[in-house]
Amino acid sequence: MEKKPVLSVKNLKTYFYTEDGIVKAVDGVDFDVYQGETLGIVGESGCGKSVTALSILRILDEKGRIVEGQVLLDGVDLTKIEEQDMRKIRGKDIAIIFQEPMVALNPVFTIGDQIMEAIMLHQKVDEKTARNMAVDLLRKVGIPEPEKRIDQYPHELSGGMRQRAMIAMALSCKPKVLIADEPTTALDVTIQAQIMELMKELQKEYGMAIMLITHDLGLIAENADRVVVMYAGKVVEYADVKTLFNDPKHPYTWGLLHAIPRLDIEQTRLYNIPGVVPDPLHFPPGCKFNPRCEFKEERCTREEPQLIEVGENHTVRCFFWQKVDEAKKRKVGEFV
Amino acid sequence: MRVETRRTLRRLLRNPSAVLGFSLLIFFTLIAIFAPLICPPQSYDPYMIPIVTWDKTPQPPSEGHPFGIIDGRDIFYGVVWGTRTAFKVGLTVTLTSTLVGLVIGSIAGYFGGWLDEVLMRITDVFLSIPYILAAIVMTAFLGMGLDKVMISLIIFGWMATARLIRANILQAREEQYVLAAKALGVSDFWVITKHILPNTIFPVLIQATMRIGSLVITAAALSFLGLGAPVGYADWGALLNFARNWLLGASGEALRYWYAIVYPGTAMVLFVLAWNLVGDALRDAFDPRLRG
Repeated sequence: MEKKPVLSVKNLKTYFYTEDGIVKAVDGVDFDVYQGETLGIVGESGCGKSVTALSILRILDEKGRIVEGQVLLDGVDLTKIEEQDMRKIRGKDIAIIFQEPMVALNPVFTIGDQIMEAIMLHQKVDEKTARNMAVDLLRKVGIPEPEKRIDQYPHELSGGMRQRAMIAMALSCKPKVLIADEPTTALDVTIQAQIMELMKELQKEYGMAIMLITHDLGLIAENADRVVVMYAGKVVEYADVKTLFNDPKHPYTWGLLHAIPRLDIEQTRLYNIPGVVPDPLHFPPGCKFNPRCEFKEERCTREEPQLIEVGENHTVRCFFWQKVDEAKKRKVGEFV
Repeated sequence: MRVETRRTLRRLLRNPSAVLGFSLLIFFTLIAIFAPLICPPQSYDPYMIPIVTWDKTPQPPSEGHPFGIIDGRDIFYGVVWGTRTAFKVGLTVTLTSTLVGLVIGSIAGYFGGWLDEVLMRITDVFLSIPYILAAIVMTAFLGMGLDKVMISLIIFGWMATARLIRANILQAREEQYVLAAKALGVSDFWVITKHILPNTIFPVLIQATMRIGSLVITAAALSFLGLGAPVGYADWGALLNFARNWLLGASGEALRYWYAIVYPGTAMVLFVLAWNLVGDALRDAFDPRLRG
């Protein structure tokens, strides 16, 4: 069955022109997001996950520029349209939930004011209708006593409540794509589960696509349908969630999966990927992961690998992905 | 407006220094409004203090002249009508210079780049000139008179506001709620006016409120130096200017002419205090982020 993607990112490159040089925060990223599906984007801090999200919405700061690539929403390239047309898409077709519900709400307005602003920006309704819609939305996202909460300020709500209010705001115009940028990172575990459950329910109800950006592999395993693994501004592996977790092909993905603590086997020390994320101003030549890679060969320091198809809907950016397979067999019992 | 307003009012009423500040302010306002009733004007220009005697030596408080007489003029009349002058100078200068500062600072902060650079360097140039000295030179250049004093105070009074609002906008621009607002499709103009300014305006309002008081002092200083209001104009600074010759008192009686200083001086001190207390109270009451 061939589905058409709602949002399709093709060879997106976003560079930041800083005083120290050009930072290639996103350097050729491709993926598709399908209706009703969740696409997970994982990677360490600074790998370009969030910048990808900001590039899709074109809300980068003045130093950042999309230098190449396309962002297609139902076939329309968002990188080419006028700013005022883009404004009509933000919040209406593509909405975003940020990581910190503490700071993503304006402290001097009640949450009602803010949700109503979102509604009235894109829908022609009067204030009273907008208010009723806001109350309904708050109820829908599971905020008790929405008639009372609507007149409260962000600082009067708990973190989980604020994130629910953010979700209500994002859903106010029933967007086609919801970008959730680390939506649960700032929340504690029980609230995390509740928020993810809520997002899944609403996804079913509205049939929207979700782009779930996170560094939490557990969250991805439970919620995503497909996964993009990013490293240093590039996609290093792309697969559906089962394949990725059962059969990772890229050394980086493999390392990430090993770094998750497990309860079913005895571990004295948690595995960690050696080294640190490279400085984006001085990426190593060749494969950007090579200084940290267990399987590196001379070729990796010379040449940059391209994405290669290794299975059905499974691509990986590595010359020696077979080595990971062999290692997996060898190390069975030790890690996996 | 609902619960919030009542809560703000209650918070104001529970704060003794706020109550004091507002009471003083109301008191001064009433005096300013009812000045013609308290001291009926006796000439075509009510702001000119009527001359009651040709004797130039100060005369102590007496019936009919409760604050005494200086330079042949009734101090009480001068203090009462001087309240109007104080409000006029303080409000006009503060409102105008704050507005100028707001515009310059907002443009610099929001657009950044070379525009910011140019505007801020101009601000620096203005800041590098000592305030009083600049005001004196400017007034001397424009000519004497209260309106000229106000103009020079505006010309050299906008920089603090401009810097403050610029710094606040620079900071607020990076806040995630600004990004969130942009992500909702809010236009730049509305992002500034609706999301950034309400978050940055409070320090400016508080600063402006407090400046009303200190401006009155500056204006008085200029009057004291003989640059401000014309002789005989109802202005606290001008009254103090009369007192200048009698500051040392008489021989063996240093405090003989105390009334020449104490009454206009007290009025000025209380006026400044009132604005400062009100400024503090406003900050405590209206900024939701300062709430415990």
